[in-house]
Amino acid sequence: MDNNKNNNNEVLLRVENVCQYFRSGDYVNKAVDNVSIDIKKGEVFGLVGESGCGKTTLGRSIIKLYNITGGNVYFKGVRIAAGIKSYKDEMKRAREDYERKVKETSDPALKNKYKEELNGILSECREKIKSAKYDTDHCDREYSDMLVNEVNKKYLDRIEQAEGEEKKKLSAEYKNELRKAKNTKLVTQIQMIFQDPSASLDPRMTVREIISEGLVIQGERDKEVINRKVYEMLELVGLVREHASRYPHEFSGGQRQRIGIARSIIMNPKMIIADEPVSALDVSIQAQVINLLNDLRDKFGLTILFIAHDLSVVKYFSDRIGVMYFGKLVELASSDELFAHPLHPYTKSLLSAIPLPDPLYEKTRKRIVYNPLEEHDYSVNQPTLREVREGHFVYCNDEEFERYKKSLLDK
Amino acid sequence: MEKKLQVKNLQISFRTANGKVQAVRDISFDLNKGETLAIVGESGSGKSVTSKAILGILAGNSIIEGGEIIYDGKDLLKIAEEDFHKIRGDKIAMIFQDPMSSLNPIVKIGRQLTEAMILKGKARQRESRTNFNSFLRQLEKTMVHTMKVENPEVAAKEKCQKFDKFEYKHLELESAYNIAYNAAKEGAYDLDSLIFEIEKNAAKDLIYRVKTIATYAFESVHKYVVDAEADEIKNLAVVIKEEAPKVKKGEDSRLLIDSLTRIRDIFNRATERTAPNFFAMGYYLSNSEEPLDENMSVEELNVFLRKYLDDNFMLEFIEDAKAAVEYSANISYEKKAEAVAQLTKAKDVFGKEQLDRGECSQTIKTLAGIVYESIDKLSIQKDSLAYTFIPGLKSEVETYFKGVVGNVREKKRYEQQKEKLYKKYSNKSSEELSDLESKITPPTYTDLELKRTNILHQIERLVEHYNEDIANRGARDYQSETIAIIDYLKAQASGVVHKVTKKMAKNKALKLMEEVGISQPRIRFNQYPFEFSGGMRQRIVIAIALAADPDILICDEPTTALDVTIQSQILELINEFKAKRQLSVIFITHDLGVVANMADRIAVMYAGKIVEEGTSEEIFYDPLHPYTWALLSSMPDLDTSEKLDAIPGTPPNMIYPPVGDAFAARNKYALKIDFEQQPPMFDVTQTHRAATWLLHPNAPKIDKPKIITDRIARMKAKHKDQQEGALNG
Repeated sequence: MDNNKNNNNEVLLRVENVCQYFRSGDYVNKAVDNVSIDIKKGEVFGLVGESGCGKTTLGRSIIKLYNITGGNVYFKGVRIAAGIKSYKDEMKRAREDYERKVKETSDPALKNKYKEELNGILSECREKIKSAKYDTDHCDREYSDMLVNEVNKKYLDRIEQAEGEEKKKLSAEYKNELRKAKNTKLVTQIQMIFQDPSASLDPRMTVREIISEGLVIQGERDKEVINRKVYEMLELVGLVREHASRYPHEFSGGQRQRIGIARSIIMNPKMIIADEPVSALDVSIQAQVINLLNDLRDKFGLTILFIAHDLSVVKYFSDRIGVMYFGKLVELASSDELFAHPLHPYTKSLLSAIPLPDPLYEKTRKRIVYNPLEEHDYSVNQPTLREVREGHFVYCNDEEFERYKKSLLDK
Repeated sequence: MEKKLQVKNLQISFRTANGKVQAVRDISFDLNKGETLAIVGESGSGKSVTSKAILGILAGNSIIEGGEIIYDGKDLLKIAEEDFHKIRGDKIAMIFQDPMSSLNPIVKIGRQLTEAMILKGKARQRESRTNFNSFLRQLEKTMVHTMKVENPEVAAKEKCQKFDKFEYKHLELESAYNIAYNAAKEGAYDLDSLIFEIEKNAAKDLIYRVKTIATYAFESVHKYVVDAEADEIKNLAVVIKEEAPKVKKGEDSRLLIDSLTRIRDIFNRATERTAPNFFAMGYYLSNSEEPLDENMSVEELNVFLRKYLDDNFMLEFIEDAKAAVEYSANISYEKKAEAVAQLTKAKDVFGKEQLDRGECSQTIKTLAGIVYESIDKLSIQKDSLAYTFIPGLKSEVETYFKGVVGNVREKKRYEQQKEKLYKKYSNKSSEELSDLESKITPPTYTDLELKRTNILHQIERLVEHYNEDIANRGARDYQSETIAIIDYLKAQASGVVHKVTKKMAKNKALKLMEEVGISQPRIRFNQYPFEFSGGMRQRIVIAIALAADPDILICDEPTTALDVTIQSQILELINEFKAKRQLSVIFITHDLGVVANMADRIAVMYAGKIVEEGTSEEIFYDPLHPYTWALLSSMPDLDTSEKLDAIPGTPPNMIYPPVGDAFAARNKYALKIDFEQQPPMFDVTQTHRAATWLLHPNAPKIDKPKIITDRIARMKAKHKDQQEGALNG
């Protein structure tokens, strides 16, 4: 496959310092911790990591199934989700700072000055929190307002000018379009394919209902349009028209996954989040589904966030790969680069665990065990995500950064 | 190579509303001891059905049409459910595909892990006792015939009782030693990681773990384990118990680390000491009046005890036992010869055109008597053919007579229905009538001829087997057999003494949980299944399966739902247990990458048949069947960049299995004959077989798909590089 076939640098999805915490009792589970990714238009971005490392959570946070705790998600430059944790942290820090400074001094003038400073920071943060909440709640409405405006522009003049039958027809069309525009959300341009094909399809709905559900919610009422689109999608994913009136249990695993794909494609998305779409399938059917996704990608220029744990598939399918470990993004590089020069010890351990259809190699393969306590000494210098080589990021501290750089030069 | 499990001509189908689904169609394979056999194929190819048949847990609508599954001298398809309880889970364990459905959602994980251990522990204790007693009694009974003294009954009884008595003494001593030794060993193992973690300031449940170490320290005090340092280690145990809470509060950890290191050193020294010969010591203590010399070193003690035992009892006992074994074998040979004569005679009875019921049952009765007598009771290796002969024969004869009655009934029913039809539609033309006729369920007849040949075949097989046995008579080594018998008795006796308490079960469970990679096992122990992630649940299931120390482990896609690191860990885990316990593994999967790591041999299944079989090298470097090609080329590896070769279509409907090769319809390389006739198995090498017409000498030459040849070339180049690298480096 032709990697990096899209050399444009238009960022479709920007994930910025996203944190997703879950609270259970006193314990805070940091499922996603400060992750930043830019996904370019038309690329396949692979996300790998062991189960429980937060890759699925990140996918769900992007599509707003969860409210993120901190950070921002931009889609086509529009902020679609924003968390308020960072601002709250800043406020807390400012307050602590203020208290310390007040204790140190006894000059009332200085105290007042500090107080003003504090108030300034607080109100600024409050403003930001407000805007974050507003964006999260209103991005869809703004988008649909924009669409409504467009529809208005397109029809209102024409309706005024038209007369008789035509006017009636146009106004009916206008009403229809307006309803659809009002119900359209920006987030529907990101669609998700779920891991378990049988659990993600409602057993009491026919395939037609399942695939067309999104359209119906969007306000499409014309049976003919729905049918036409459903058939089109079915044929696109390699099923036939007759399947539309059947129920999910009548299909095999691979076919069910195809229905799931058809359901997400029908909304005409710009981006797809594929959450382990092939993990539950037989090898031969895996190949069918991967080939299908590849075809669809070429046809519609889709951007795909591909979440999986099967590294051979990820390597085959993705342009760039991000490796996650316990909620943190530890390495990010183009797929060839990552497999040729893995730097982070966790990535190395992950790569060493890939089974290959080669018995002699398998007999000598040694799995590298990753133990964060042994590998890193972060007591002095805290790690961050740094660019070691162009496009190759690693989560490391100063000392490791130098070491990684050197090891790349040696090669 | 010892064969653990043999599957022969297995055929299984399922009754469904639409008709009979033929899930497994005549498959045969062997499983050797300590070997992994991988069964590969798409879902619906019958791999899971085969494994379920081995465990006797097929669904209620299944019909076993024929075949045998032989394990430990028993045909698993024919034994009673009560007998199966002893095998299922205990001897043959299974790891299922979906962990959630094999765990009880309302019982805590800890309880589910330990429950079986405790129950099985009790059962095993009982079983070992009966085994030990009955075998010893058998030995005693035989010895009576061979001992050349007056009153052989009394002498034999005395001898065996003596053995019984000191054997128990031996086990008492040994189990006391084992507790101490294992405490030291496990303590040393735990301490390695604990000390490291304390140094790094990252120890989890510190207090609990330190307490365990302290318990180990107290347990390890034993005359032959921790003896000289006993006082020191006891003091240290008290010290660490006091220090641990302080360290947890954040105080200085130096004293704790020092004490722990000292305990570890003591443990390490203790585990390196030689163990005394408890078998001999048991004899000495139960027979000699004098106490043991305290000043002797362990090595000297062993020599002394050994000599004492040999001089006084053992050599003589072995001599007697050997005579008994020889006697029993000789009797068995005589009876075998007799049985062969009887069996040959029986062939006439079963060879008739039509069998007579009374005559048959009479013959079976006499055969049962003679075959049972001909089995050598003092042989530890059970003669599977002889043991399964009578039940097998009985069931075959039964089905024959059922068929005799059933065929008549079926014919009558068909005729009646046809008559009804003719009456009802007497005005229709003959063509229409034959159309209607085809709508009546056709009669299903039992093939009586086949049953009869089956019966004869069974008899012939046993005759052959016995003749072979008799011919090999001279090659037997009675000396080593006797030693093996004594070892067997020892093993059974140790089973009696070995008790599983709740605490032991919990410790073992915690250890297993740690081994299968569950962090914080002590907290996890008290959680419910829903609190675990998918991978963690699968680990629990594996821990449960391994807890019983099974002989054969069946893994039904155990890692399909897990990610690579955990998959790799779990495969390593299974491999490790396999090596440690000489476990035989049947590994069912559709992922060929996994198989390369695990399997010694691979069987590729499609539509209920084995289409290719060979060692893993042969399957991966020289695949022959188009289905294997398709499987290999539909998975990407790290260097694949071309479009994947997906297999088109879906597997065939097994209600109407295709006439020819089942894979023909999806096969790019199918020949015309593939649609007409089933290909036979062609042997390529001794281990490599494939069922495809492409191997027929007259078949056109077809090359493997490019994606596979490329990959194989790449792999070979890599190996060459590696070898050269190794030579140069």
